[in-house]
Amino acid sequence: MHENMGSGIQMKNKIKVYRAMHDMTQEALAQQIGVTRQTILAIEKGKYDPSLELAFKIATFFGVTIEEIFVYDEMKSP
Amino acid sequence: MKQNTFYLLLGLIGLLEVGLFGISVLLKNPLIITAGFIMGIGLLYIARMTITDLKEDERSTMITQKAGFRTLEVFWVLFFAVSLGSAVIGFSTPLGLPHPKNMPPDFPRDEPHLGYFGIIQMILLCCIAFLYIGFRVYYARKYGEWDSDEE
Repeated sequence: MHENMGSGIQMKNKIKVYRAMHDMTQEALAQQIGVTRQTILAIEKGKYDPSLELAFKIATFFGVTIEEIFVYDEMKSP
Repeated sequence: MKQNTFYLLLGLIGLLEVGLFGISVLLKNPLIITAGFIMGIGLLYIARMTITDLKEDERSTMITQKAGFRTLEVFWVLFFAVSLGSAVIGFSTPLGLPHPKNMPPDFPRDEPHLGYFGIIQMILLCCIAFLYIGFRVYYARKYGEWDSDEE
């Protein structure tokens, strides 16, 4: 999962939304799940797709399932 | 140990290695710098394990791995090409004993090339460092290392 795959497949996520709902900064979330703030920022911007373990950690932290935060979006090629 | 203390130690060991290299050349003893360098690197590896404020996670590990892999991928071609050139010089010299007599003055001689090859290797190793830094910057940029915060 580690990086964005080519051929029109993209992982989207709602971390920013959930962070806002919990009134959390990127730094606070990063500390809670044991990564750097830059990693949270990179995930939010779609530049880095987290490992399954990290995805579970994020979902568990917000008390939701992975599917509620991470969306596997297969874009249609033109 | 703090990360900054580690960098200080790194600098000190670097200076020490330069000194050992000078002593090795003066005493014409390659064993001093060879053993000193291995011990210095060993000491750095041990010191790195004691860093308490190291900020690493899966993304930074992936950047390091990708940069390392790409460096190796490019470097082995460069290193092999130079080694092949050196092998040609080596095989151009007479093989075996006894040492041939009455060689023409411009005949390739192997003895000095061993030392020069060491220097070429060091230049290539410096190239590795720059290549690695280049790839590291590329992947760090790709995976959002210097992105600005939108909060």
